[in-house]
Amino acid sequence: MNISYNWLRELVAVELSAEELRERLTMRGLEVEAVTQAGDDYVLEVAVLSNRADLLSHLGVAREVSVLMGVPLRQPDATPVQAEGRAENFTAVEIVDPDLCPRYAARIVRSVKVGPSPEWLVKRLQAVGQRPINNIADITNYVMLETGQPLHAFDLEKLYERRIVVRRAQTGEKLMTLDDVERELDAEMLVIADGARAVALAGVMGGADSEISATTRDVLIESAYFSPASVRRTARKLGMQTDASDRFERGTDYEGVVRAQARCVALICELAGGAATVDAIDVYPQKIEPPTVTLRLPRVRALTGLPIEPQDTIRILTALGCEPVQAAVLGGEQMPADTTALELATVYPGATFSFAGPSWRTDIRIEEDLIEEVGRHFGYEHMQDELPAANAVGEYRAHEERRRAARRALVAQGYSEAINFSFIDAAHDEQFELLPALKARANDGTDHFVTLANPIIETAARMRPSLLSGLLAAVRHNFNHGTRDVSLFETGRVFAARGADEERPHERDALALVTTGRVREAERATASREVDFYDLKGALEAAIEAMKTGALEFAATDARHLRAGQAARVSLAGQAIGTVGRLADEIAAAYKFRQPVYVAEMDFAALLAARPAPARYTPLPRFPSVVRDVTLLVDRHVSFAELRRAVLELHIAYCQSAEVIDVYEGEKLPEDTRAITLRLEFRAPERTLRDEEVDVLYGQIVAALGQKFAAHLR
Amino acid sequence: MRRWILALDISHWTLTLDVRLMEQPEAVREAFEQEFGRFARFRGAESAAFDGLRLADVETTLRELSDLRTRHTGKKSALANLKKQIGRAAAEERAQFAQAVQQLEARIAEEIAKVERALQDTAARLRTERERLDVTLPGRRIRRGHVHPINLIRQRLEDIFVAMGYTVEDGPEIENDFYNFTALNIPESHPARSPQDTFYTTDGFALRSQTSTVQIHAMQRRQPPLRVIAPGKVFRRDTPDATHNPMFFQIEGLVVDRGISMAHLKGTVTEFLRRLFGTDVRTRFRPSYFPFTEPSAEFDFSCFKCGGTGCALCKQSGWIELGGSGMVHPNVLRAAGVDPAEFSGFAFGFGIDRMCILLYDLDDIRLLFENDVRFLEQFD
Ligand SMILES: [Zn+2]
Repeated sequence: MNISYNWLRELVAVELSAEELRERLTMRGLEVEAVTQAGDDYVLEVAVLSNRADLLSHLGVAREVSVLMGVPLRQPDATPVQAEGRAENFTAVEIVDPDLCPRYAARIVRSVKVGPSPEWLVKRLQAVGQRPINNIADITNYVMLETGQPLHAFDLEKLYERRIVVRRAQTGEKLMTLDDVERELDAEMLVIADGARAVALAGVMGGADSEISATTRDVLIESAYFSPASVRRTARKLGMQTDASDRFERGTDYEGVVRAQARCVALICELAGGAATVDAIDVYPQKIEPPTVTLRLPRVRALTGLPIEPQDTIRILTALGCEPVQAAVLGGEQMPADTTALELATVYPGATFSFAGPSWRTDIRIEEDLIEEVGRHFGYEHMQDELPAANAVGEYRAHEERRRAARRALVAQGYSEAINFSFIDAAHDEQFELLPALKARANDGTDHFVTLANPIIETAARMRPSLLSGLLAAVRHNFNHGTRDVSLFETGRVFAARGADEERPHERDALALVTTGRVREAERATASREVDFYDLKGALEAAIEAMKTGALEFAATDARHLRAGQAARVSLAGQAIGTVGRLADEIAAAYKFRQPVYVAEMDFAALLAARPAPARYTPLPRFPSVVRDVTLLVDRHVSFAELRRAVLELHIAYCQSAEVIDVYEGEKLPEDTRAITLRLEFRAPERTLRDEEVDVLYGQIVAALGQKFAAHLR
Repeated sequence: MRRWILALDISHWTLTLDVRLMEQPEAVREAFEQEFGRFARFRGAESAAFDGLRLADVETTLRELSDLRTRHTGKKSALANLKKQIGRAAAEERAQFAQAVQQLEARIAEEIAKVERALQDTAARLRTERERLDVTLPGRRIRRGHVHPINLIRQRLEDIFVAMGYTVEDGPEIENDFYNFTALNIPESHPARSPQDTFYTTDGFALRSQTSTVQIHAMQRRQPPLRVIAPGKVFRRDTPDATHNPMFFQIEGLVVDRGISMAHLKGTVTEFLRRLFGTDVRTRFRPSYFPFTEPSAEFDFSCFKCGGTGCALCKQSGWIELGGSGMVHPNVLRAAGVDPAEFSGFAFGFGIDRMCILLYDLDDIRLLFENDVRFLEQFD
């Protein structure tokens, strides 16, 4: 809302400069976003809060200034210079639908001379950003900007039967509005009609047919109170937003209808000549009662913490137009009728008052609303910094330490943390194997994705069921910007539709990793080597180790988004929780990746909730161990895990561990074979083993392996 | 060489001939000196003879010198022979002869040692040069990654609030109408509910448009007194530009207890900002309007960059706008099953992304979700 400084000062005589006003108003909740000079005037751009319809007017802002400065408000003159005849002699008003229009007033000005407005009026309208049209239209505009009451002028001659009917439109009824657009109406929209047809869209815009023209002689000035919800609905439905609808939607001053009209009529008589009727036809079948709000005086201090005296409370509220209508003190004592509210509050600081909210303040409904008004005008700058008494100890989210440990470990492994949008392209739907926790839900036959009804762009309508599409998009972004070595991780929620018996969609914390390019050393430009599956697996293991969940198990698997033969299923305590592997060629091609990309996705929630694997002491060995290496030439399908399990399951006495030293595959070996060198460690708890003993045990193991895997010892 | 053999030969049968006897050390000395001649120039490590010599040359010379020593002082050397002769010499000459031999031995040893020391010093010096490290080269370690700036700040905020006695809470990102709007006292007609502003799923759920939803969950889960913060992701239908994203991060604070006032709110926000920016931070409230609080206020804090005198960051105002706050609306308390007659509370909220902009001087928040590693690497 643009407020003219000069105009404001006509309504309240303040000695503050425009800049001082800006500061003071801002600190009272009327944020002045800018002050600009316009000739000999200044324009204050006030960002009006959405609950304050009354501030969409100069009078409303002036009222705040008047309370702020303790200077009285000056109501503008509203007496027409010439008045004769009663309005009912010239027109008639009927409200068919009072639920949508509780009050409608019409007043006539006859024999006006339509023409340009005087210079002062033009200047003022232009200063606040309005385009002058003609004196009649300009005056209705001017009075709206002054009082907040939207007004409309009809050419009386053009109203069929010279009368007004306020009713709901008929379905399919048409109306050409002032902007020369033909509107098709529905039965929920309120229109102003004459004896025959709709002539205005109530509270939104007038009709072209009854518009004021150069030849107009007699005008009908409409001033009304329309139901905010009705105007909002109509404006929304037709995609219209006007100065009038803005005000009606928020709630206008239902008691100010006739006064604003009188002001308008007085100005027309003064600036366009003509004679007004002495009165208006004011149809107001049921008087609107402002809500009565109870205020316990001590609550003001209690809720704000400000040192507000009861007298301050009464003074501020009264100045704002809240009328104390009733008071009660403890014990129900009756007050002498001539006691003022101020006196009462002084004597009984614990009293309870009832206030009738002013008709222009639709936002005042409960005690807290009154308290805010008092606190705001008392000044928040007087508020002390206090801390509430402690009643509990602080607490992180469950498993926060694990979240942070995983993050730290991955960062140490060279991975940077990504955050991607939660909505993705539905094109990724079938691309990725979902986490077991989500996949299980997908099998109940329903649509297992969560979809946005109103995405910003069509390619971001799916709530992500996997973090991988986001990470791969991030890899592509980095490739496009010249970074070829990329290691990223993300933790965040993935989504699945709710099952039939569930209250809401399913959300689950996931952890995903992606790595591609070369292993990079800190502060060195040269990269050592290409990353591979084992780098990603290692990073994952490092994260899991830091989380202290116990070790993960890896087993070869097939997953939709992973290249066959380079994919592993990951389990924790026997339960599958994710996959790791090299991105499948088709997906890589879709992203135009020309280098291997490795990805992993884990059920982070399962990891977070896993039982912790606490450290436990094992006595240190007292005797040295003996190690023996064995190189086995085995079929490529035989995994290290199988070999190790085979060794350990022999339960050979004193054989403590079998670890891999080296894996060799190459042209020196027969096709489809590889050589794995294991190191076996033997130790007896009570003595040093002799070489001959170990040789025997070693022999048993090698023989057993040979039998099981047809492994050749080299 | 021949002379030396000759001398040996002679010694066998001229043991008693004193003149000859005394001539023998002299001959051995001459023989030594003739061979030692080429090493003599290396006496003293600063000798010019070392100039331009490479380590390999020095090491070779050292080896040759060692051979020379063996030849001239070893078991089979002429000197050793002389020493054997001492016992056989006539008694009256023995002392003189022995002295001559000892002098010769000492002299040879000294000559060799002197050169050897110089050579060794030089070798050590050259070896040091050759093995000198460039200590300015970077240490060897894997290039580490970086935590996302949003989470860096989020962790910091959580740490501060936990230290102030708050519990960190979270709620669903996909909400139903009750939690996202109704319980927060947002009326049916409020524009925030429109599909223009809020994302809806096809089955009628809303992506939470503010972390205030967690207020309701938290109050339902724990009865007051309580104090919680709720950091998290929120969604609004804004088209991305330098200052907007359709997804961003907020943090919400909520305290409900008996006798909670707005001054507690102000004190809490001030305390938190001081822990984040330093003890000289001041805060101020500007009256505002939010459906879920009454009274409501926006809070500003004195610019941490200029201290309030005005700079580019605070647009010369000395104040930085941070977020919204207020006393929890009684309708919100009721919606969560808390009796407003007994309890009052305050709530505040602000954007973590906005904090990123402030702390890191970010000029385009779209960078936050592009995950460009050149961007991510800048934060610690
Ligand atoms: Zn500053």
